[in-house]
Amino acid sequence: MNARKWLAVAVVTAAAAATLVGCSSTTSGSSSGTLSFAEDKGWNYKPLSAAADKDIDISLKTTSYSSSQDAFQALIKQSLRTPKAPDIFTWHTGSQLEALVQQGLVSDTSSIWKKAIANNWVSPAIEKMYTIKGKQYCVPLEVDYWGMFYNKKDFAKVGITTPPTTWNDLMTDAATLKSNGITPFYSQGGNPWAFVWYMLLMSGTDLKEYNAINAGTAKYTDPEVKTVMDTWLDMIKKGYFSDPGSKTPTTTSFKDNSSAMQAYGTWYPGSLSQVGLKAGSDYGIFPIPAVSDQGGKTPVAVETAPVCVTSHSANKATALKYSQWLMSPAAQSTWSKSQGILPYNPKATAPNATLQAFGKQVTSSSYEAYLRYYEAAPAPVLTSALNNFTGFMENPGDPTKYLQTIQTASAQYWASNK
Amino acid sequence: MTSSNPMRHQRAAWAFMGPGVLLVLLAMYIPVVYTIYLSLTDYTGLGTPNFIGLQNYVTMFRDPAFLTSLMNTAIWVVGTLVVPVGMGLLVAYLTFGLKGGSWLRIPFLIPYALSGVAIGVVFNFIFQNGGALSQALTFLGVPGAQTHWLEVAPLNTVVMILASSWQGIGVNALLFVVGLQSIPKEPLEAARIDGASGWRLFTTMVWPMLRPSTTIVVGLSIVNSLKTFDIVETMTQGGPNRVSETLGVTMYTDTFQSDQYGLGSAVAILLTIITVAASVIYLRRQLTIGDASGKGEVAEA
Repeated sequence: MNARKWLAVAVVTAAAAATLVGCSSTTSGSSSGTLSFAEDKGWNYKPLSAAADKDIDISLKTTSYSSSQDAFQALIKQSLRTPKAPDIFTWHTGSQLEALVQQGLVSDTSSIWKKAIANNWVSPAIEKMYTIKGKQYCVPLEVDYWGMFYNKKDFAKVGITTPPTTWNDLMTDAATLKSNGITPFYSQGGNPWAFVWYMLLMSGTDLKEYNAINAGTAKYTDPEVKTVMDTWLDMIKKGYFSDPGSKTPTTTSFKDNSSAMQAYGTWYPGSLSQVGLKAGSDYGIFPIPAVSDQGGKTPVAVETAPVCVTSHSANKATALKYSQWLMSPAAQSTWSKSQGILPYNPKATAPNATLQAFGKQVTSSSYEAYLRYYEAAPAPVLTSALNNFTGFMENPGDPTKYLQTIQTASAQYWASNK
Repeated sequence: MTSSNPMRHQRAAWAFMGPGVLLVLLAMYIPVVYTIYLSLTDYTGLGTPNFIGLQNYVTMFRDPAFLTSLMNTAIWVVGTLVVPVGMGLLVAYLTFGLKGGSWLRIPFLIPYALSGVAIGVVFNFIFQNGGALSQALTFLGVPGAQTHWLEVAPLNTVVMILASSWQGIGVNALLFVVGLQSIPKEPLEAARIDGASGWRLFTTMVWPMLRPSTTIVVGLSIVNSLKTFDIVETMTQGGPNRVSETLGVTMYTDTFQSDQYGLGSAVAILLTIITVAASVIYLRRQLTIGDASGKGEVAEA
């Protein structure tokens, strides 16, 4: 009996101990030179890791969580305080980065930015997106400018020889395409792309209002927004957009000539190459013209993929060294070549002339960069906006009730986050 | 075993049960208590949760999306009672006693092996705009090819209930068949001799005697439909514009998409209360009817 009793006690103790160990096991400081990297894009980091290994003796152990943005965000937020946190991870700028910084969960990278700016590796406009209360956090893996990708075959078929440079030209071209049976623009409801046309039309009509709304100082129910939504409604009614409920992948729609123009960031060529489309011969890209004059400057949406360093990572020094290297011409040339995208570092080489020309154009002084809506809107507002814009696209009509709902979410958010 | 001291037996028993009890406590009850706590805070997934009393519950009932979700969940409960349970009974009754009846039931049972997500993906392919169904309707020249099955409420919820029924009919039929097998033959034969047949035989004899099976099937169906998540999340993500959300999806959206962990927890708690209350009320009522004493006490197992 005693033996049994002791056995039972031993079993209980072992089980309890196992549970505790499971809860608190610490990652022993991983061997120098390897960083654990959690990411949400599903991109191929092997060439970048190989280059870093060669240049600075640091390699990446990548774990991808690209299938669910929600799961990725919950995982990062919950793990950052624990010893299981990755050394570095991809994130989003704007309110999402602010939330992490407020809690002291990401490392200050101000000294890295200072050097990068001094070396002319990155423009100060981008630095702004990484600046919170005067300090910089994280570094950009890439910076993407939004433009209109257009199918050259579709344009040629209806006799459009040069891409439009004004809003009126764009609308004329859209009408021409439509009358020839080609849907001019791609649009998609739901998360994440339901915001695209609100963003393009709002910023293109009144960038100040767009920025003020995202800062909580203007309202979605302002008459300026209603006007923009009416423009959108008019375009929907003219049949300028593809079916927002279609589940056809955007690249397929582009390749199959189902929508002639698609607005995306300069990361899009990486996706288009996967369906065999080539920049220059199959498609081109042009800056999206402003709807109305905004002091001579054309607004251009910018998004950026930050890589952040966990503040209490055991490999913090290595991670910061890696961050510095990531902004270098060598790293950016490798990355843009492997992804087929535009590098933000002017000293790096772009993979093709089409992107090079577009990049040069939108970073010139006649363009004004603004933060993409997906990053600029606070999370609860973004969720509400994506839902309501989807509702508006599915049932085109008076936008007022949709705008009111988004405004409720916005007012609620800004009441507690001033 | 020489000792017969009951206290020692008790202690030994606890020592053996200990790990199991500890695991249940750790894995089930602590999260529930923590969720109740979170539902009373403004937690955003980061930082420290601040206590805000019942504010989340107030917000929840003022949110039109939540009320839509509540209504959709009710449609799911009724829908899954009518279609998969009703059809399950029909399949069981029609094939019961037939030669090769079990072979006829197999096609209905196979979808049960699939996960809800797989069902969602397959039916998405069928019901999406320009999907398999639209193409089939166009080919046959039948009107309705332009219908946006997954975008109009409450049509999208109905469509998803049908998708989920495709999976649920088989297992319900199986449970009903087991019930039919357990019905004694003598009373049925006596009823037949007295002239009962067809619909009358079913309603007066078979249906009452099927009660134990019906109780289980309906009980499971209520609980499962209340916690509907996977099919909706894969087919419409609760959209467009939250019109097809169920409470499970609302809980997920509020928590992980809107970063309102407190509000999401409040929905989770309400969902738990509804599910437990529905099960207890239903089972108590059913077991009372079956209990000859009529005291309404659930017999101890």
